[in-house]
Amino acid sequence: MKKYWVFLALVLIVAFGCKQRVVTQPEGQQPGQQQQEMKAAEKIQEQKVASVAPEDVSGKYLETSGMFEDILFDFDKYDIKPQYKTVLQSVSSWMTKNSSPKLSVEGHCDDRGTNEYNLALGDRRAKAVKDYLLSLGVPSARIDTISYGEEKPLCTDQNEECWSKNRRAHFVVLNKGK
Amino acid sequence: MNRKYKVQGSGFKIPAYIFLLLTMHCLQFAAADAKVYIDITSPAVRKLPIAIYDFDGPAGQEISETIRNDLTFTGLFMYIDKASYIEAFSQPFNPKNWTPLGIEAVVKGSSLGEKDLTVTVTLYDTFDGKEILKKQYQTGKELVRQLSHSIANDIYKALTGMHGVFRTKIAFVAEDEREKSIYIMDWDGHRIKKLGLKGTLVLTPHWSPDGTKIIYSSERGRQWGIFLLDFLKMTEKRIFTSRGTNMAGDFFPRGDSFVFSSTKDGTPDLYIFDMGDNKSKKLTSSYGIEVSPAVSPDGSRIAFVSDRGGSPQIYLMRSDGSDVRRVSFEGSYNTSPSWSPNGDRIVFSCRRGKNQICVVKPDGTELFQLTEYGNNEDPSFSPDGRYITFSSDRDGIKGIYIMRANGEAQKKITPRGLKAFGPRWSPN
Repeated sequence: MKKYWVFLALVLIVAFGCKQRVVTQPEGQQPGQQQQEMKAAEKIQEQKVASVAPEDVSGKYLETSGMFEDILFDFDKYDIKPQYKTVLQSVSSWMTKNSSPKLSVEGHCDDRGTNEYNLALGDRRAKAVKDYLLSLGVPSARIDTISYGEEKPLCTDQNEECWSKNRRAHFVVLNKGK
Repeated sequence: MNRKYKVQGSGFKIPAYIFLLLTMHCLQFAAADAKVYIDITSPAVRKLPIAIYDFDGPAGQEISETIRNDLTFTGLFMYIDKASYIEAFSQPFNPKNWTPLGIEAVVKGSSLGEKDLTVTVTLYDTFDGKEILKKQYQTGKELVRQLSHSIANDIYKALTGMHGVFRTKIAFVAEDEREKSIYIMDWDGHRIKKLGLKGTLVLTPHWSPDGTKIIYSSERGRQWGIFLLDFLKMTEKRIFTSRGTNMAGDFFPRGDSFVFSSTKDGTPDLYIFDMGDNKSKKLTSSYGIEVSPAVSPDGSRIAFVSDRGGSPQIYLMRSDGSDVRRVSFEGSYNTSPSWSPNGDRIVFSCRRGKNQICVVKPDGTELFQLTEYGNNEDPSFSPDGRYITFSSDRDGIKGIYIMRANGEAQKKITPRGLKAFGPRWSPN
């Protein structure tokens, strides 16, 4: 009985055992033929790529920047450092006194690291600031967040002084009327 | 008892004998196959010495130069300078003129026409003394580079048995007068074309599996949306937007859905967007950051970046969000994963002081660092898995580079003045 199994195994090896090389025959080649017949010429074409005009989605608010100090963060961090709590308190009290404008909190990063990861990190920074303002009583509906990651640096030198300025949450006051 | 012994005995002898026969049978089988001049699957490839004449006729030199650059970059060919050819271009091919020089393949060609070119190419095998490729190509003069790349593809196919990538493209983002825009160029950096999507912030584009579309994220009006650009229809469409940050993303192999990262429900998590019913489905829920998803070539798994362990690292999960496990362990900052076309490697950006390009097997073993100088980011494989494109600031300003998948032959392909990043190699 065992003999038959051995035989069967051998038959299978003979049939499928040789590793087939995945190599295609060069076009038009016949074994032993020295001169090749010329086939019809290949037409080289290419899909045309035109320019596309993007849709217009300009904002509907008047933007005022620079009313409040930026909140700065440590590298790859999104927790708010204690020294910025007074800035956030002044933002909160201004928002209470002025009831109509909205506030946009922009999250930014330095340019070390990947664009996508930095965009996520900037989002966390902006949200951390928003959360702190919510805890001070600013209504959620009045605060928007947006991350710019490393896309809009304040400063473009490659040193820590510059990087630390870029790792920021920036405030923009939005007034209706555009 | 006796019989049993006999069976055991013959069971030992017969296979040994048959094995010998089998080996010969296999050899015969291999011989019947087409001749393989370069076995590119072999770990130590010997470079094939090839002669490529300046083609006769209009644009002849440009065609030859393009073919030489294409073949040389593969690392599989050694171009032998035309100064050493004994045979004049006009003389008929004679293998005796080539074998003493060690040259194994010869390319001759000529072009005709002014506005429309007709190019005839012949590839000779000097050992067998025969033509192995003879073909004609026709095109308008403005497509002379594509024509040259097509010839290089055919020569590559004839000598390696594999498809070349010389007609592929690279999509990327570049900054021009402080405006970011999506660009497309040939894989060798020629014919850079700016798509008119300017005045906005744009992130890395991602190709659809059939190469007819790209998706990308763009910020417009204080919102990050995901946009689809269709090259056949030449239309741009916003396919997803919400409050917060939305980042595309990577297509599934069927091309009708993609995975993306969004903060629409709070923290950056991963979602699948179905382009059939325009619905999104949440895949991950963690307190941390989940970004940069990359779908495996068979669609079964997703590699992504998460900071759930305290620092950004590469993770892997099934496409339904289950079975999450960590892939990268070395270093405190690993991002931008991208798959090799057969799914056996993940290339990513690894921080070793500065950002470098690393490759690893999906099970986390066989980690290799491929770059050394400057910051290197956004790696992606060519469709044949033999090359990688990435961005680097090693010469002071970010630009697009290509290299072989083992890190050899790193070269910048975008012009010096152009700040460029986020390259993605087209699938075809």
